[in-house]
Amino acid sequence: MNLTCQERDGALVASVSGPIDHENADAFQASLLPAVGQAAAAEARLILDLHDVDYMSSVGLRVLMRALNEARAKSVGLVVADLNGTMREIFEISRFDKLLEVFDSVEDALSG
Amino acid sequence: MQVTFWGTRGSLPTPVRADAVQQKVVSALLSANGQSFESEAAAARFAEETLAFPERSTYGGATSCVEIALGSDQYLVCDMGSGLREFALDSMRRSAGGHSKTYNFLMSHLHWDHIMGFPFFTPAFDPEATVRVYGGHHELETALRRQQEKISFPVPFDWLKAHFEFNTLTPGERTEIAGAEVELIEQEHDNKSFGYRVALDGKSVVYCTDLEHKLENMSQEEDFVVFLRDADVVIFDTMYSLSEAITMKQDWGHSSNVVAVDLCHRAEVDRLIMFHHEPAHDDETIHRIHRETIRYEELTRTGRPLKVLCAYDGYQVSV
Repeated sequence: MNLTCQERDGALVASVSGPIDHENADAFQASLLPAVGQAAAAEARLILDLHDVDYMSSVGLRVLMRALNEARAKSVGLVVADLNGTMREIFEISRFDKLLEVFDSVEDALSG
Repeated sequence: MQVTFWGTRGSLPTPVRADAVQQKVVSALLSANGQSFESEAAAARFAEETLAFPERSTYGGATSCVEIALGSDQYLVCDMGSGLREFALDSMRRSAGGHSKTYNFLMSHLHWDHIMGFPFFTPAFDPEATVRVYGGHHELETALRRQQEKISFPVPFDWLKAHFEFNTLTPGERTEIAGAEVELIEQEHDNKSFGYRVALDGKSVVYCTDLEHKLENMSQEEDFVVFLRDADVVIFDTMYSLSEAITMKQDWGHSSNVVAVDLCHRAEVDRLIMFHHEPAHDDETIHRIHRETIRYEELTRTGRPLKVLCAYDGYQVSV
């Protein structure tokens, strides 16, 4: 799992890669929650670019939920973008597509 | 071992409505349009092979009651939901044929949907029957007596003629019950609940219902991975979607299909059986969630395949 942040057009884009499951969910959380804080400090939206996430198990999804709760508490808009086919299905099955706004691409999210 | 599901619904008995039955008939007629059947057996074969499960059948609506037949001369049953009535009638037929009248119950907890079948458990009136109730709660007897108090039921507990024993078990300790080795684990639920692992002759069945996996306590799941390790069959509460379980239905005490799959994957379980179906879900919805859960298992599989099955009232599984 790897997470890198980049400021783009007034938003913070956090690009995540690798499978996210019980093996690395703690590392995912340790990277993601500071990104929420960084977005809050910059008064920017946080866009999670999931293009390179192979799959995410329930543990990873729940880290996302924690980040969403944190973002709401800090008045940060958190959205996800560019899910591959597997991730799109996992979002549908877990009903996370009802919890988080999902964009087809980072560009769509930036203009959304 | 043979597992029989006498009740699979969560929270509340959920009978199929007349309009739902009519819809199934209409759907089946349309699917059979143009067909002719030489016999009832041919029609039954068509239904079994051609019609989807919710079109030809129903998941049922009785609340939690699961029998684990051990091949011994004693009955072993998990929970006393409204499915207990059907088990009672069936066991009386078996007892009339020579089966012993010793009943052992493993209680997940004492909420109403898990004890409501007991007032209709006819063998309790049989002076030759022995009823042993096991659980992690100290209030086993109190819960059964209380629901038969005059204000709630016309037949008081004291009228029952069977010999009763109530045994409080301790998580982590193994107890021999009806010839099987039984272990329990404490679970997150209002007033706690307990899951059971029943092992016999190198095979094991795990029954975990009415348990929540809280967002803030994911590390607790390691204990469940150990508890489920290498089980042949895991019967697991899959009442909600993950998003429901951690948002609007947080603290309602139930788990999700995707957490069930993840835990079973990690524990290298052979078969997961989805259980404790949401009463608001019709047969089509449960069927769809079952298909989705099979797909989630495929998408997240990194080791050996996990078979994902879905319980219905009357379902039987050999272990």
